[in-house]
Amino acid sequence: MKLLKYTIHRLLQAIPVLIGISVITFLLANLGPGDPVSLMLQGQEHSEELIRTIERRYGLDRPLHERYVTYMAGLLRGDLGQSIHYQRPVAALMMERVGPTLLLVLSAYAFALVTAIPLGIVAANRRNEPSDHASRIAALVGVSTPSFWIGIVLILVFAVQLGWLPSSGLYYPWRPPSAYPGIDGHLELYYESARHLLLPMIALGTLQMATIMRVERTQMIESLQGEYVKLARAYGVPERKILRKHAFQVAQLPIITIVGLNLSTALGGAVLVETVFNINGMGRLFINAISTNDYQLVMGITMLLGFLFVLGVIITDISYAYVDPRVTYGERE
Amino acid sequence: MAVSESQYESGREPASEDEESVEARVGWRYTVARIKRDTTARWGLYIVTVVLFVAVYAVVDSNLSRLTFGVASDYTFAQLLPIFDHPTHIPPPGEGTQHMPPYFPLAEQSWNPLPAGGTIEHPLGTDHTGRDYFTRIVYGTQVSVFVGLVSTFIGLTGGTIIGAVAGYYGGRVDDILMRLVETVYAIPPLILIIVFTVFVGGANIWYAVLGVGIAFIPVFARIIRSRVLSIREMDYIEAARAAGVKDRNIIMRHVVPNSFAPVLVYATLQIGVTILIVAGLSFLGYGAQPPTPDWGQMLNISHGYMHSNVWLSIWPGIAIMITIMGFNLFGDGLQDALDPRIED
Repeated sequence: MKLLKYTIHRLLQAIPVLIGISVITFLLANLGPGDPVSLMLQGQEHSEELIRTIERRYGLDRPLHERYVTYMAGLLRGDLGQSIHYQRPVAALMMERVGPTLLLVLSAYAFALVTAIPLGIVAANRRNEPSDHASRIAALVGVSTPSFWIGIVLILVFAVQLGWLPSSGLYYPWRPPSAYPGIDGHLELYYESARHLLLPMIALGTLQMATIMRVERTQMIESLQGEYVKLARAYGVPERKILRKHAFQVAQLPIITIVGLNLSTALGGAVLVETVFNINGMGRLFINAISTNDYQLVMGITMLLGFLFVLGVIITDISYAYVDPRVTYGERE
Repeated sequence: MAVSESQYESGREPASEDEESVEARVGWRYTVARIKRDTTARWGLYIVTVVLFVAVYAVVDSNLSRLTFGVASDYTFAQLLPIFDHPTHIPPPGEGTQHMPPYFPLAEQSWNPLPAGGTIEHPLGTDHTGRDYFTRIVYGTQVSVFVGLVSTFIGLTGGTIIGAVAGYYGGRVDDILMRLVETVYAIPPLILIIVFTVFVGGANIWYAVLGVGIAFIPVFARIIRSRVLSIREMDYIEAARAAGVKDRNIIMRHVVPNSFAPVLVYATLQIGVTILIVAGLSFLGYGAQPPTPDWGQMLNISHGYMHSNVWLSIWPGIAIMITIMGFNLFGDGLQDALDPRIED
């Protein structure tokens, strides 16, 4: 019951932030010098009258606050306006593209967690030994290397040189296999989609891996010095069990927070990785929208990514409260 | 942070210096001494120094415009770093490097390979227009370091003002400012920066710098605010207030300086993050515009020449990596050096 109350409380807290995101996005997209109408008419002969007509059609002739209210009213109904470049509803466009991005981001996180946690534990347990130094250097390289460059290097090695893995595109496992020529059966589709996902996943996940590993190591070191670990040792609990059970559980809590907060880096990184690997996700849609001055679409995507981040943070906060009994519900630090 | 003095003293090497109290573990001289002893910090400092030197050298060099805009035949590597002898004959782009074996033997080399480098004229080869790659990498340092430092400074200044005001006044001011900060924080930085750069300014490095700075105000504001919240309750602030010191002076003279150590560490690490973001921004074409050499932008261009010279896609990445690594190492070392709880 308490947890439910906390969940509702967190969701209510998010409302001003969500409204704030919409205001900032709206202002950025509408105050700029980029004029969508002249963009639409690029290379065509046009009269003043035509410009006025188009402005009226998209409601660009009305004052800013009126347009914001209209936009928000539409937003609540799930209508994000019409993309000028694609001539299609923004919401529908985003629905098509959000899948690949989520697949990419989630698999990158899975990769990061699966590799970082064991590495962090090993490093903490063998503090100041060669394996610790090696993993710390790896983490340092990981936080210092741009994801898109990792992607480029991976393509150079595994796609161009060795020819083992494809360098671009993505097969969506949720589509029917018949959607892809030459693919029969779900198994083959899953295999192809894993093959395509592998390189972008590593490219996007490396930064997350390095960040999580650093935190994991510090937390484990701290946790291994805790009173409960000393007590367990005094009772003669085997070292392996202490590591796996006593120290490990406590050390995982901050990881949850890191995962939530890093979502914004991951979503930004997805833009770059999608560009490098030619994946038709939100990131590339965003870049297309920016380069064609499609302000409606830019607003939609920015808002959606902001909302996704807020949602991610709320989910991690709630799961933190669920896991850690010490969290006092509904109070700020 | 209630750490008893005995904890500081435990495990101290008695041979090192005279008896050190806690006071002796803070302050500039002690920090510098710690940095000198700490391997991580020292290496960070070395790398940062070299990177800064290269960047400043590129500014001081009088041939800047010629070097940046010119093609390979206009200048040489030797002109850039005078420690090398000037070669008398400067070959036109390509000539003299053709015999060089490609480092990555491509399976089917259907295109003309771009000069792979390894010569004194073109140690790293040339790009698709024949410009010396090494020079461009060297000049790329300027943009990265400049952007890293300036936008971190913008973020730091903005964050300090907002965080200090929010933390010091509390109440409604705090609520409003922190909601604003949370809002900016919620939009992924890269997205926010691109939207800001393109819609407000048009793709231009100055707007990129400003955008990156603004995007990172929230992180600094949060740190400063939490420090200020704890400092606000200190006795000396109470005393200053009782003595009738103005709020603005209390913030500037007492609150901000005392909350600066963790922020300084964070700022150093943030420079690395900033350079990382700007590299991505330039890779997408929204950072420095050609012909200004910039690492991210060079990677964008070399992406199209992946089959003719792989190394063009490698060098700028290594440059980015080393630079960021330097700031990260230095930041990590600084953190240890400024933390009086950590033993040597």
